[in-house]
Amino acid sequence: MTLVMVVDDDQDLAEMLGIVLTGAGIDVDLVSRGDEVLEVFRNNPPDLILLDVMLPGLDGIEVCKLIRAESMVPIVMLSAKGDTHDVVRGLEAGADDYMVKPFRHPSELIARIRTRLRRTNADVLGLLTIGDLAIDVTAHEVVRGGKKIALTRLEFDLLVALAKEPGRVFTRDALLSEVWGYRHSTDTRLVNVHVQRLRSKIEHDPEHPEIVMTVRGVGYKAGVMGGS
Amino acid sequence: MNRFTSRLSTSLASKVIVSTVLLSLGVVWLTGSALYSQLSDGVREVNLESSLAEARSSFFSAQYQFLLAEAATPAVIAKVVQDVIVSSTEVSLSQDRKSIFLSRFGKPFKISLIVESPNYTTSTDGLDISSFPDEVRKNVRSSDLVEYQYAKVRYQDRDDANVLIVGRKIVIPKSGNYEMHLVYSLNNQNRTLSIIKNALLLTGFALIFLIGLITWLVVRQVVRPVREAASIAQKFTQGDFSQRMKVESSDEIATLSSAFNDMALSLESQISRLENLSRVQQRFVSDVSHELRTPLTTLRMASEVIYAQKESFDPTIARSSELLVAQLDRFEKLLEDLLEVSRFDAEVAILEPVDFDLITLIERCIADVRASAHDPVISINIAHEAEHLIIKADMRRVERIMRNLLSNALDHAEERPINVTIISTRTEVAIGVRDYGTGIEPAALSRIFDRFWRADPSRARVRGGTGLGLSIALEDARLHNGELDAWGSLGEGAHFVLTLPRIAGEQIGGRPIRAQPEDYPQNI
Repeated sequence: MTLVMVVDDDQDLAEMLGIVLTGAGIDVDLVSRGDEVLEVFRNNPPDLILLDVMLPGLDGIEVCKLIRAESMVPIVMLSAKGDTHDVVRGLEAGADDYMVKPFRHPSELIARIRTRLRRTNADVLGLLTIGDLAIDVTAHEVVRGGKKIALTRLEFDLLVALAKEPGRVFTRDALLSEVWGYRHSTDTRLVNVHVQRLRSKIEHDPEHPEIVMTVRGVGYKAGVMGGS
Repeated sequence: MNRFTSRLSTSLASKVIVSTVLLSLGVVWLTGSALYSQLSDGVREVNLESSLAEARSSFFSAQYQFLLAEAATPAVIAKVVQDVIVSSTEVSLSQDRKSIFLSRFGKPFKISLIVESPNYTTSTDGLDISSFPDEVRKNVRSSDLVEYQYAKVRYQDRDDANVLIVGRKIVIPKSGNYEMHLVYSLNNQNRTLSIIKNALLLTGFALIFLIGLITWLVVRQVVRPVREAASIAQKFTQGDFSQRMKVESSDEIATLSSAFNDMALSLESQISRLENLSRVQQRFVSDVSHELRTPLTTLRMASEVIYAQKESFDPTIARSSELLVAQLDRFEKLLEDLLEVSRFDAEVAILEPVDFDLITLIERCIADVRASAHDPVISINIAHEAEHLIIKADMRRVERIMRNLLSNALDHAEERPINVTIISTRTEVAIGVRDYGTGIEPAALSRIFDRFWRADPSRARVRGGTGLGLSIALEDARLHNGELDAWGSLGEGAHFVLTLPRIAGEQIGGRPIRAQPEDYPQNI
């Protein structure tokens, strides 16, 4: 059974989230303080964390950084503030996705959670190469010159989505639909922040990317430079 | 010259210095000339006295010698005349040079019947007799006293010179009455006078320069704090309120400085109070939003869980759950719109421009709006020149504007088709949304962007709009430096035109599409 850790200081909302998730066949671990998250996480590692931004004890952003430091577990931030500043801060702290309260539908929340939990790119198997990177889709590994590069699951999915069709231009909407499972969304911040995070890990010079390249006004494509 | 006058009109210091120097120039000129004229009169008098005294003694000694030679022969007398000339023209140390002019006048004495009396008329030193003034000669002939006159005479071998002429009648034995003139050069006296003049001029100029300098120093003391205050005030306008004036004494300037500093302090505290208020206001809005959103999330999820079970409820409870869900939707939308409005009011709305294809965005908006429309049969025609139109703007806001305009048009279209026109120029893009439905009274156009304003209160809430849509759309457009114009006529439909710069934040040069539609040109 899938285990999701729900971190929220609002008891009623946490309980409601518990009801909805349990109804969808997901086990729930409720935590109400930011400074308790790490301990619970180590004792009973969940498959995904739903993390509120405003928390007593320790801020959600800080919690996110601490967890990222030791795990690549998917993190979905819950934010009451839709302001870009908070969203970007959460994403930069390592969150894979975020949801702004109030959510449109409980089903939307569950869909997001399932997207983050499922093995994306299940159709792609084996080894991909792009630039000087070797991507082992099956083993979930990215290697450059014998050295492993640690990517979160979402970053890995993003890279594979681009790399499996080198040269094809993906619009941000297409990436949102493919990697995040969004249907109608124009939230390009999500894509932009994660592309930047990915670049900072895999590019030699993130300012002049050679693997994930921007197509101005359209979106991104995986580089086919250098004959690779 | 222009620069000088403009400097005069802008600089207090220059103004004060120039007027002080001009005034003191006048004063120095007056006192200087008075002093000079007194000094030169004195010098001339002393010179005249000594010349006259010397001339008198010369005349006396000449007359005396001629008296002694009364009985001598003409040859001896001629010798005496020569002696007199030589002794009279001897120059003392203080004198420059001296000439003599001797001329007979009146009848010559009769010596004998056969010999004419000798004439000793002569002049020395190259003196040109013709330039000799007549007046003094006349005076000498008609009186027995010493006569004098200042004059200008010519010399044969050098320049004309100003001289003092002193003359007296002399009787030369066996010859007749003579006028004897001693001509004193005034070179020395003039040299003295010019030295005095130069000294006075030099002193005058030095004095004026010093007065100017002193004025400058004094004025600077006064003007420096004024300049300092001006530059600090300028920094204030640029938003730097930390600057203060130095208070170094207890004079009027110090009073000015401390008054200025008090003003600065009060300004700073007022501004920080206002800033604080606005921060508190923003904080409040943000807190309210957070506090409202969390229970709203719980409410929504709870209502959805209930709604999902509505098949098993009896009809009234099932309908109630439907209403609950719908009203929560509306409540949430209202909350979002109110928050957005408060962001505009607090001026914290941020533009996040990205490059995107406007055509794709509008097509998606049309599809979405049509999908949720009550009247999906209404056709929306879209007319544009190019396949793609990349602009740099805040995608979320442009999408919100388009959804607003489109759903507005759908609400009032009365089943007639809607036309969307897109025209781009080098600097701007314009999107016109034209419907042929109920229309708007021209008089109501000015209020159409007001918050919570509804054209027709009786049939307003067809789609559960919040009444803030057009107002937010206008703010969104203006945040891009764009504009949103509206045209309407009762029964003829409405036309909304969004004009945006190609790159958000730049200026729009005009209106590629006018709000007044081309198919309806006869409006008022």
